[in-house]
Amino acid sequence: MDFRLTSDQESLLDAVNKIALEFAAKPTEFHGFALVGNQLEQELQDGEFFDIAQVPEFGPVAAALAVERLARLPYAVEAALSMLVRPHVEGELPRPFAIVENGRPGRFVATAKTILVIDGDNVGVAHPAPDQVESVESLFAYPMGKLRAGVKTTPLPSGDAAQVRKWIRIALAAEASGLLQAAIDSTVDHLTQRKQFGRPLGAFQALRHRMAECAVLAGGVRWLALKAASTGDEGDAALAALHAQESATRVIYDVHQMLAAMGMTLEHSLHLWTYRLKALQSELGGRGGQATAIAQHVFGAAPK
Amino acid sequence: MDFSWDAEQQAFRSTVRNFLATHLPPDWESQAHGPGSASQSAFSKKFCAKLAAEGLLVPHWPKRWGGRDADPWTAFILAEEMWEAGEPRGGQYMNVNWIGPTLMRCASPEQQERYIPPMMRGETIWCQGFSEPEAGSDLASLRTRADKHGDAYRINGQKIWTSYAGDADTCFLLARTSPGRDGISIFLLPMNTRGITVRQIPSVIGEGDIHEVFFDEVEVPASAMLGAEGKGWEIVRTALSLERVGIPRFALATRMLHRAVDKLKQSGRFGHGAVEQAAKARAACEAARFYSYSIVDQRRHGVATGAEASVARFATVMAERSVGEFVVEHVPEAISGADTLLLAHHQRAIVAGIASGAAEIQLNLIATDFLKLPREPR
Repeated sequence: MDFRLTSDQESLLDAVNKIALEFAAKPTEFHGFALVGNQLEQELQDGEFFDIAQVPEFGPVAAALAVERLARLPYAVEAALSMLVRPHVEGELPRPFAIVENGRPGRFVATAKTILVIDGDNVGVAHPAPDQVESVESLFAYPMGKLRAGVKTTPLPSGDAAQVRKWIRIALAAEASGLLQAAIDSTVDHLTQRKQFGRPLGAFQALRHRMAECAVLAGGVRWLALKAASTGDEGDAALAALHAQESATRVIYDVHQMLAAMGMTLEHSLHLWTYRLKALQSELGGRGGQATAIAQHVFGAAPK
Repeated sequence: MDFSWDAEQQAFRSTVRNFLATHLPPDWESQAHGPGSASQSAFSKKFCAKLAAEGLLVPHWPKRWGGRDADPWTAFILAEEMWEAGEPRGGQYMNVNWIGPTLMRCASPEQQERYIPPMMRGETIWCQGFSEPEAGSDLASLRTRADKHGDAYRINGQKIWTSYAGDADTCFLLARTSPGRDGISIFLLPMNTRGITVRQIPSVIGEGDIHEVFFDEVEVPASAMLGAEGKGWEIVRTALSLERVGIPRFALATRMLHRAVDKLKQSGRFGHGAVEQAAKARAACEAARFYSYSIVDQRRHGVATGAEASVARFATVMAERSVGEFVVEHVPEAISGADTLLLAHHQRAIVAGIASGAAEIQLNLIATDFLKLPREPR
């Protein structure tokens, strides 16, 4: 065990951080549901950041840390699947990536060049033409889209499908970790500034304790995501995804309670994190889906 | 970031496991003795002496005090294996974790010569005289008085919830020498001193775990004071920060969760509700484990640990809670004597958020020092 970063990883994350700082604030005039980071996407592409997991000096842990850092921004960018899942799909597949699960609308589907099509236990790969996808209006803070019927999907062999599911879980947990932290940070700012009954809201113990519990959950998600990225173990991946989805359930409710009506407005940024978390809550069968994987890979129950 | 154990760490863990396999009695896990019971205390003295003889009691202590200056990972692997095995060291784990190290830092040479060698040989039990009937979470309001009379102090007052007091040889006692936080001093007090009365409090935690301790005109020489007069609060704050991630509770909780799940699997009862609850509990245990490891990693690299230790402690409390609730809901027969080990774990787990300070105090610390939220008015 040694949780220090190598100097290569540190420099890489400094570089990611430098880009991230340019996109730290939501444009004041933006009042939409999803803030799409096209320019951020371009900068990451230009710097070849989407390929860092494959660089031996950086590896999947550095990629997970980069995903987490980028998720803390108000901008949504397709980084998690490209950085953590794409290296585990056979062939040099074009990005952006997206997931369509059981025919539902998915994040980034309308602009994706590669779509992972998940149907029950089967995973396939599709490369839709522009007229085979369409954007969907949604409260979720990702650009949501759906796949039209009739797109050719190439099924993955079951071993590859399992590998893809595992890395989707890790990507989901790393992204959720950043989203949770950003939502908490934003709420802490509010509780520090907003005064009621003559003192900052953050000085009321009832709220302080709930925020402290949220912080404990968020940090736990971070550790489990990093560990899973490091080990690439099926059980670790499922534990990380479950803890992410479970913590999201709790934290989203609490941070919205703390911001009350202010958090309901599109002027405030909170929904840009919480409504990405909400989109992640259902992925790969939600908590029940992760629990089934944990039963098999951690508790040794017979596969379903 | 490396999440694996190196060869030396793996070898050390094997050594500890082999030691446990050799020296724990075959019926160890079916013995239902409380952690502070007379039988456990007697066993711990024999067991810890053997650990000491093998260099496994205090490997992280300096050579001068029987150790080999092993790194914090060694100490933590040892603690994990001991706790997972049901803590055969009994109350002596406190000596190893924080009482010994605190004496090395703050005690006079005479005090060190008197008290540290019996600890490093594994033959002495301490209790901590902290909580009082009117001073629990608000520990600094303690009332037990130590009044100076010439070269001696006369101690009067009462401690409560004191673990291991029934068989303790020495008390690490907090007493008031003057008003306020700066008026708290520490005394190293032999428990056979005249005027000390110990009364066990029956509890759901198990036999011999908690006690009331009464001090009636207990006279100690001024040389029994640890550090300077009025410095007790400062010393104890540092000591307790070591204790926050002192017990790797997640290790036994994880083992007990797997034990409970195995029972359900064997009887065909590991179905939907149980699967999801077990999975959540397992994730909570794993989160607590890596939070705790992150603190050990900080210690290993000489980084001062702050509020992160409180975060780790609270994560551990949540892990214990989730395993405890799982067992009560899905393997309730364990609480009625069908599984002594699950029962013993339950009894230890229910105090996870209470022993060594209420978890809500940790939440206050997390809010103020970790999240940097405004302080509450006092």
